[in-house]
This record gives sequence, C-alpha cells and structure tokens, in this order.
Amino acid sequence: MKMARLALGIESTAHTFGVGIIDFEGEVHSLVNDIFVPESGGLHPVQVKEQHLSNFSSIIEKALKEAKCSIKDIDLIAFSQSPGLGPVLKVGALVARMLSQLLNIPIVGVNHCIGHIEIGRLKCNIEDPLTLYVSGGNTIVSAFESNRYQIFGETLDLPIGNMIDSFARIVGLSHPGGPKIEKLALASDKYIPLPYVVKGMDLSFSGLFTAARRLVESKKYGKQYDLNDVANSLQETAFAMLTEVTERALAHTEKQEVLLTGGVAANKKLQEMIKYISEEHGARFEVVPLSYAGDNGAMIAWAGVLRYQAEGGHELSETKINSKERMDNIKIPWRK
Amino acid sequence: MNSPIVKEKLIRKGAEANLYYGNWFGNEAIFKHRVPKKYRLEELDKRIRTKRTLNEARALIKVKNYGLNCPQVYEIDVESSSIVMKYIKGEKLKDILDQMDESKKIKLFKKIGIFIAKLHENGHVHGDITTSNMIITDNDELFLIDFGLHDYSDSIEDKSVDLHLFKRVLISSHGTHYEMCYAAFLKGYKEEYSKAQVDESTSIIKNIAVIETRGRYVKKEDRL
Repeated sequence: MKMARLALGIESTAHTFGVGIIDFEGEVHSLVNDIFVPESGGLHPVQVKEQHLSNFSSIIEKALKEAKCSIKDIDLIAFSQSPGLGPVLKVGALVARMLSQLLNIPIVGVNHCIGHIEIGRLKCNIEDPLTLYVSGGNTIVSAFESNRYQIFGETLDLPIGNMIDSFARIVGLSHPGGPKIEKLALASDKYIPLPYVVKGMDLSFSGLFTAARRLVESKKYGKQYDLNDVANSLQETAFAMLTEVTERALAHTEKQEVLLTGGVAANKKLQEMIKYISEEHGARFEVVPLSYAGDNGAMIAWAGVLRYQAEGGHELSETKINSKERMDNIKIPWRK
Repeated sequence: MNSPIVKEKLIRKGAEANLYYGNWFGNEAIFKHRVPKKYRLEELDKRIRTKRTLNEARALIKVKNYGLNCPQVYEIDVESSSIVMKYIKGEKLKDILDQMDESKKIKLFKKIGIFIAKLHENGHVHGDITTSNMIITDNDELFLIDFGLHDYSDSIEDKSVDLHLFKRVLISSHGTHYEMCYAAFLKGYKEEYSKAQVDESTSIIKNIAVIETRGRYVKKEDRL
C-alpha cells in the first residue's frame, strides 16, 4: 500500500530546532526536537544558531528514522519563515531551501503562530476556537474572522513566558524558569498585591515584572514573605489578567470553543483558570497536548500542508525570512 | 406583597458581569451584577470588582451631564458589586452592523465619532469602546454602555489608546466594513472636536499610528 503524501516541517524560530513529519491526512509520523539550554542568562541568538547549525542533519535523520521513511519519500518541505530570532530563522530557511532544491519538491514558508493554532485545531479536533497562545515569545488572544487569524488582544510589552523566565533568572533559577515558579507557587497561599494592567483586551506585564523584582530586592524579603509567596502572587496576578482578556474576547466573539496553546499552556493553574471561564460561557475547552503545545516541527509541517493544498508552494524568491511578521497580516485561504 | 424591586431574568452573561432584566420601582431596569470570578484570588477579585463598580457608576452619572446617551443609574450596591440602571431597549451594534446599508453606516459612525469626541473633550476615556458596548434603539438613537474601564484623563495618549482599541475592534470583527466606517468615525470625531476650546483631535489621531508601531512584530522601518 502506498503511504499518503508526506510533509517535513522545520521549526527554527527560537530555542527549539524541531523536525516533524506529517502526512497530508494529518497523521503525525515523527516529532523530534533539539532544545537549546543556556548555561546562564537567556537565549543568545548567535549561540542558538550555532547549536541548530551543528545539529540539524542528525535531527532530520532521527525524524526520518522515527517515521520509518527515507528523505526521498518526502513530498513537501515546510519551514518557519516568521516571526522569531533572525539568525535562528535563517538556519531553518537555509535547510529547507537546500532540501527543496536537492529533492526537487515544493517548499512552503509558515508563520510560526499560525502553526500553533493549526496543530491545535488538528490535534484537539476543534473547528473554530478562540485561541490563547502563551509562550516565551508570544502572548496572543486570537480568533478567525474575515479571512484572517485576527488578534483581539496581545501583550503590549513582555510576553508572559519571557516575563516569568526573566523573574526566575533574577532569583537564581535556571532556564526554563516557568515550571520552577509554578512549583514554588504551589507552596504558598499568601497574596501580595501587584499591578494588574488590562487595557481593553490588551495586557501589559512590564510593571508587574518590576514590582515582583522589587519585592525580592526589598529588605522585607525573607522576613515578611518568601520566594514562594512572590511566585504565587506573580502567577495569580498575571494569569488573572490573561484569563480576563480571554473571557472578554470570548464574550465578544461568542466562539463555542477555547484553545490553550504555547509553552506556558503546560501550567496547570492557567489551564484551570481558562477552563473555568470556558465552562462559564458554555464553550468547549481544550489544551493542546504538551508535545504539540511547545514549539515543534509537526505544527510547521501541518500549516505547510494546509497552505500548499490551498495555494500551492512558494517560489524560492518568496522564502525570505521575516523576523517580525504579525499573524494578522496573513490571509488564510484554507478557511472560510 | 409585591416587592418594588424585581429581578426577572438573566438576559446576558458578559465577560465580567451578569445582566438581569427586571423592574425597579415601576421602571424597566437592568441589574448589572459583577459576579465574583472564582478563577481569581478572592482578595484580588474583590479589589477589581469594587473599583470597577464605583468607576462605572460615577462615570455614568458624570457623562449624562454632557447630554450623552448612557443608562441612568438607579441604585448602587458596592457590597455585591451591582448597579441598577435604566433598561435601554435596542440592539447591540455588533449584531446589526453587517446588515445595515452603506449610507446608514456612514451616518451612524459619524455619530459615534461625535459621541466619543464629546467624551474626550470633557476629559473622559471609556476604556473599552467596542461595537458590543453600543446599543442602537428603535428610533436610531445611540447609547454607549459598560463604563467599567472608564478613566478621567486629559492626556492625548489615553485618548489615542481609546480610539486605537475601537479601530482594532472594527478591523477584527467587521473587517469588510472597516475602512468606510472608520473614516466616517474619524470625520465625526474631528468635526466635533473642532468645536472644543482646545482642538487636540489631530494630535490624538496622529498618535494612534505611534501606538500601532509599539505592537509586537512591527518592522523597524515602520517604527516612528
């Protein structure tokens, strides 16, 4: 029996170099990630690029092995074209162009954020969700209207994951800090008031970040409250803000489904809160399975398949990376 | 005995409040109850609900002074975060906009522009100008509701943020009508503002472009 046509997707926007192989029916055959972990500090684009450059071929080999196929069986190459760290995006684009030329198969560039939404729709079997996409690089409330994934609300400064990771770094926790802060927060039920900034459906986290930093730099730190209390207050405030804007967008768009995705979707507390408001509004709530919620190649492959089936591949001249493309700039031809 | 205050039925579950239709001393009324949000910590939740209830009630009373259409406040209860106000019979703009014909849309958006300009020139920003927060009555009167995020401000920045949000809502929810509606809106806004003592409308509208460039993933060359 001949296998369905296969697409290989390359995710390379930030710390993850991911390769995923998916068939045109939507079944994932492999999912391999290589994640850059800084020894200290945050993600340095050049260091990340170096790691991706030295590892990409072994990751692709591993993915092919997992899917039990040869590179010659691949019918389509998709890659993350935007948005992300410039030098890192270039690695993915370079590899994708090379493969497309060598194998003489079509190439498709994909917006990373759209990849997150599309793999969520596929994996959760959901049709038309309001999506809360929370990660180290993005904080977006989006829904499909007038041929695009419109952005109803977003952060005006720091993305939520970045804010939590940066705070974790200040208190000496290694990258990624999110899961560690989540664990610390569980040990406290004390709340210290922190700035809560919601502007319509947009959010601002920078004031919250500064206030939390001041708390751990204060003389009272370790006496009147400890790190657990600050972690708890930080999470409670930030997540309440996220939940409020999601609820606002849900009431405004009247969507019947809510999708939570991105790396921060792993946080149980946030899941509970978004689930609660979804149920309040009679909407179905889904969290993207964790292996697909963080950055991965399968989501790029799938969004690539959708675009390819609707409008064909990109010309080589159209595969230039764009580190700052907004998701709502892109028309979505595969949805009505 | 019949109580003078009757909460009859839940008519809308909004994002932050439940709206009940009922009767208040012989008047048709809306009971807006900011329900506790169980996803938030109680302390934080109470702080937010109390602040917004007081904010909204005060704003509704103030804004009436400028002859602008918004619901008359009957009663406030801070303890339960509720406001009782006059019932406005009509349709949400969001639900009827797409069926309106072109000339009606242009007329209406000009009217919205005049409305918002009157708020702004008197030092009020609404904070959540959306088509869900506008009611059109049977005789085509425009009412603005939901002043929970209202603020007093004379700053150009705050007023631009107010307009920017509305622009975004028009694009995201009514993309196909956006350009025509937005142009009519700005026209009305400018016209009304030019009658004010200080006409800041040009700076306010200019500043929207500055706010847009602050969004994420805006290209360097587009930054001002």
